[in-house]
Amino acid sequence: MELKSLEHSTLKVPYEILNKKFRTAQKNLDREVNQIQYSTKEVEKALKNPVVDVSEIQKLLGGVVERLQVLKRKANESISDELAASYICKRKLQHLQEIASADNSEAAVDQWKRIRMDRMVIEHFLRMGYYEAAEKLASKTDIRELTNLDIFQTSRDVEEDLAEHKTTKCILWCTDNKSKLRKINSNIEFQLRVQEFIELIRSNQRPEAVKYSRKYLTAFKEQMSEISEVMALLAYPVNTTIEKYKSLFNESRWNDLVLSFRNENYRLFQLSNQSLLSVAVQAGLSALKTPQCYSANSKNMNCPVCQDDFNKIAANLPYSHCAQSRLICRITGLPLNEHNLPMMLPNGQIFGQLAIPKISKENGVVVCPITNTKFTHPKIEKVFVM
Amino acid sequence: MDACAAVEKEVERVIGKFSGISEHSANVTTDLIKTFEDLKEAIGENGQEHLTEKQKDLLLETINQTNMKLVAISTEHRDLHGAVSKVGKVVDRNFVSDFSAFTRTSQNEENTHLLNKVMAKHYFRQGMDDIATLLIKECNMPEDQANEVFESKSNFAEIYNIWKSILNYNLMPALKWADQYSEELELKSSSLQFKLHRLAFLQILSEGMEYQSDAILYARQNFSKFIGRFEKEIQNLMGTFLYLPSGIRNSPYKDLISNEMWTEASYVFLKDACNILGISKNSALSVIVNAGCTALPSLLNIKQVMLSRQVHGIWSDRDELPIEIELDPEYRYHSIFACPILRQQTTDDNPPKKLTCGHVISNDALHKLSNGSNVLKCPYCPVEQHSEDAVRISF
Repeated sequence: MELKSLEHSTLKVPYEILNKKFRTAQKNLDREVNQIQYSTKEVEKALKNPVVDVSEIQKLLGGVVERLQVLKRKANESISDELAASYICKRKLQHLQEIASADNSEAAVDQWKRIRMDRMVIEHFLRMGYYEAAEKLASKTDIRELTNLDIFQTSRDVEEDLAEHKTTKCILWCTDNKSKLRKINSNIEFQLRVQEFIELIRSNQRPEAVKYSRKYLTAFKEQMSEISEVMALLAYPVNTTIEKYKSLFNESRWNDLVLSFRNENYRLFQLSNQSLLSVAVQAGLSALKTPQCYSANSKNMNCPVCQDDFNKIAANLPYSHCAQSRLICRITGLPLNEHNLPMMLPNGQIFGQLAIPKISKENGVVVCPITNTKFTHPKIEKVFVM
Repeated sequence: MDACAAVEKEVERVIGKFSGISEHSANVTTDLIKTFEDLKEAIGENGQEHLTEKQKDLLLETINQTNMKLVAISTEHRDLHGAVSKVGKVVDRNFVSDFSAFTRTSQNEENTHLLNKVMAKHYFRQGMDDIATLLIKECNMPEDQANEVFESKSNFAEIYNIWKSILNYNLMPALKWADQYSEELELKSSSLQFKLHRLAFLQILSEGMEYQSDAILYARQNFSKFIGRFEKEIQNLMGTFLYLPSGIRNSPYKDLISNEMWTEASYVFLKDACNILGISKNSALSVIVNAGCTALPSLLNIKQVMLSRQVHGIWSDRDELPIEIELDPEYRYHSIFACPILRQQTTDDNPPKKLTCGHVISNDALHKLSNGSNVLKCPYCPVEQHSEDAVRISF
């Protein structure tokens, strides 16, 4: 059940990679087959002559053999790539299935959960762009093959390129994923082209900018209004004070590009826009959160929600729901039940029966550990919780 | 069918097909290469300068055949697309990809900082200082927060490293630790020391026949003090000597050298060591994440029910989760009193009250029962009493 709800991206990402490898392989095969057909056509053409030289045909046949060898190598490489991608899917599946077979061993479950935690943190790091930490954690915990580090490696390269105000790698990425990006209706390529255009103007290469716009911007017919807006830049100086155009010249647009690239990359792999870790943290905080976590005198330092940082994160989250009382003695940490009856001190504080001797001094003095009030021979009453 | 098994079936199919086509295409291309090389040889065999008509026909025919074979390979590969995309469909059908309903959209910057801080603390706690440092650097954590991380040092790091080395089949640090704390371990009747020595013994044994006497020596030196508590296990261990020549791997004792033994021992170490040092074996972050992973499936379920009844936003406008999440009792840190009448958790505004008869109900229930007057009957025992006599209590 937990697997079903939480592990979609663990499997979907390698599938998307497999799918992409498949398309590349198909393209390679088709290209090589075409090449061979081209060279066999040459042979056919030569054969049509009334007199055909043996040496010429031999030369042409040699060409065919060469092309065939290329096909053999390419086919082998491509299909090995596909197989490798399939085995990655399989490896991840096997890891997920380990938890089912580990059901009766507390130790194995504990370890599996530790790995899950590291996997989730790595994914979160990658999404936030903390690539080095992610890389290091994966190699240190030896779970690289269970993560999606590889797809994020590409995005890291692209992001670094964008951060240096270069679009080459991102454009390459767009071409690489052209059909998929069209399917999800992405306009990232348009944004990149616009930025390039702006940069040309910024460096005062206006004629080049016009050339560029003719070459690249005309393809985006749906964005006509935006295009005319940026085209207007041709008429303005770089240090213009008109808000609309000033913002187009703003360098922070590059940071926006990084973010929108990241977003498109998630969409490409159908990753949700929040990391599983942050979702799990929110759900977990809610499941543990009680009103006591926010009341100064009932905090429990073992409780994660009572700790400062989490306390703040959980501030806006809903409390856990509890339809049946669940009582724990604050002195012994033991549950209050028929073996450890709840007892009330005169000040209304309840402790387990087993804890009473621990707070009783000689001469019948009892000290309440919560309020530090001293009682002499107090009346300690049983209470009944249904 | 089980979600993973369903996907695995499709992945296996894809692997099978790719392996098939890999072999097939290699065979076809190899054959073709050979055919053309032979042809090239053959046409010049008689030292002639021009091709005969027969040779021309043969060539044309071969080219024709070749093209057909090549197109067939390409088509065969293209036909695999169905099998490949089936994998994706089965993943989508069996796994949930959207948790948007569970999160408060206001992922503000402060929470991002706080989450970074607790992650850094988590890894610092495990002694993975380098991870924590890298994270702090990459997320530009403010200095005061970073300092707080480095001040959070606990002695868990040592335990964690020993735990790691057990998993890497290195028992020395664990044995040393267990020696140092042997009194405390015995007091808690921990099986740790025995389990570690057992692994050490088996490690010597697995070196082979020539280490037999070393193993016996180790057993005599170390097992005597466990004879009371682990007699049966020691008998089993000594039984392995019977199968040493043929290898324990093929003997009835093969379970003793399985990997699970190491996982088990490492876990016992983690549990008992943390217990003795009085620290939690899980960091606050991992307790929360694990609780979250337990909670999410139920929340997903309830989401579907609520969507079908057109109730939106589990998180957004409620103070409480819609359902109770079952967690291990060890992850319950606070008493919760749910009023048995109103089925509601009590709060500071609505505290639990003890009636004179000793039964506890919530303040709201008390007022509802007294219904304007200040006299009520306890719903559990028919004692009549004044509502002012009820005492506010705290758990």
